[in-house]
Amino acid sequence: MYIYLYDNYLRGRKYDPVIGAIETRLTDFGIAGKIIRLQHLTNTESVINEEVRRGASTIVIVGNDKTFGSVLSRAAVCDVPFGFLPVGEDNSIAEVLGIPVGVEGCDVLSRRRKVKLDVGWFNNRYFVSRLHIPPSDIIVEYDEQFRVSSKNGKIELVVCNLQPYIWKNRRNRDIVVHPQDGKLEAFLRPLIGKGILREKYEDPSIFPFEEMVVSGRKPFPVEADGKISKETKITIKLAKNKIEMIVGRDRKF
Amino acid sequence: MFQKNVPEPSSPLPYQQPTSHEDDVETVVGPSVHVEGDFASEGNILVKGSVSGNVKTSKLLTVEQGAKILANVRAGNAHISGEIKGSVRVQDRLELSSTAQIMGDITCSVLAVEPGALIQGKVSMGGMSMEGIDTESVNKRTRRRRGTEPESEEEEIAE
Repeated sequence: MYIYLYDNYLRGRKYDPVIGAIETRLTDFGIAGKIIRLQHLTNTESVINEEVRRGASTIVIVGNDKTFGSVLSRAAVCDVPFGFLPVGEDNSIAEVLGIPVGVEGCDVLSRRRKVKLDVGWFNNRYFVSRLHIPPSDIIVEYDEQFRVSSKNGKIELVVCNLQPYIWKNRRNRDIVVHPQDGKLEAFLRPLIGKGILREKYEDPSIFPFEEMVVSGRKPFPVEADGKISKETKITIKLAKNKIEMIVGRDRKF
Repeated sequence: MFQKNVPEPSSPLPYQQPTSHEDDVETVVGPSVHVEGDFASEGNILVKGSVSGNVKTSKLLTVEQGAKILANVRAGNAHISGEIKGSVRVQDRLELSSTAQIMGDITCSVLAVEPGALIQGKVSMGGMSMEGIDTESVNKRTRRRRGTEPESEEEEIAE
């Protein structure tokens, strides 16, 4: 039995035609199932566990990058295959997974091509797309082997997992983070000063890693899959093959 | 208009396949970044800042002008424009540009040095065959020129 988790934004009228078309296509394929609409306070982990107990075979997330991240950051511990139907804007993860946006995503779902995905883990929480620390006085230690610090003090840190990150180089040559290569990628951008309208950053440093410890003398904000918390020390790890996911043939890994 | 900008990570962009050689860079040490400790990577390494510790990669190591490495270096290939204080062991090709400064022994297969590069240390290169040359007599002749070999032995060689 398929369970469909709809994001709250899909209640908007402009999504009615595409949602209608998706539901028709799913019925044609014989994979239509129960629909659960996610609210702000929905505990996705307990909802999914309850549905699995009732016999759910596949959980399908319907929404965008934000929906994907918020559901899987809680539900990564659930032992059930996941599917994804991207709808609307902000769907960069879908492209990495090889799932077309809209009705065509149903074709990928019906083929059930499953792969195991790596997810990031920090302080007892999972993150699927990206972790971000705004410029803070932090020291970063990688794989218990080397420490990275900035001569200027504050550093911004971005750790990418599934969501692509493109560093626009000054020489018009982009460096692209390759998701899903068995490691997480960390981007460090030291803050070098303040301009009139915005802060100035140095070119980023890039380090692939499996485990990283970020510590600071003062609490620093950490944003993972859209959720913000304040921490003084975090350990970021890679949880390999944690999520079983239905992906498309054109996936980027 | 003059709101303080909250720094955000770059907006998600569509995934693109890498196109140029530089896209293969997997580890970058930025200009004001300092790395302490042994530093190993399976991919290419680009150093623009400073590293106090051993650097090891099986692929290309690039040390840019102004960058410093204070320890031993091991790489598959290397292009050095900055400073290294420590031994450099490169499996294949080592290129030193005019701004390069190396204080330590160098081991490589192919060495390319631009005028202006500074080396203080021993250079060893593999693949050298010296068959057919009497290395002992060459060494004695060298010592004689320096004035460290006795005259009688010189006569013996002449006979």
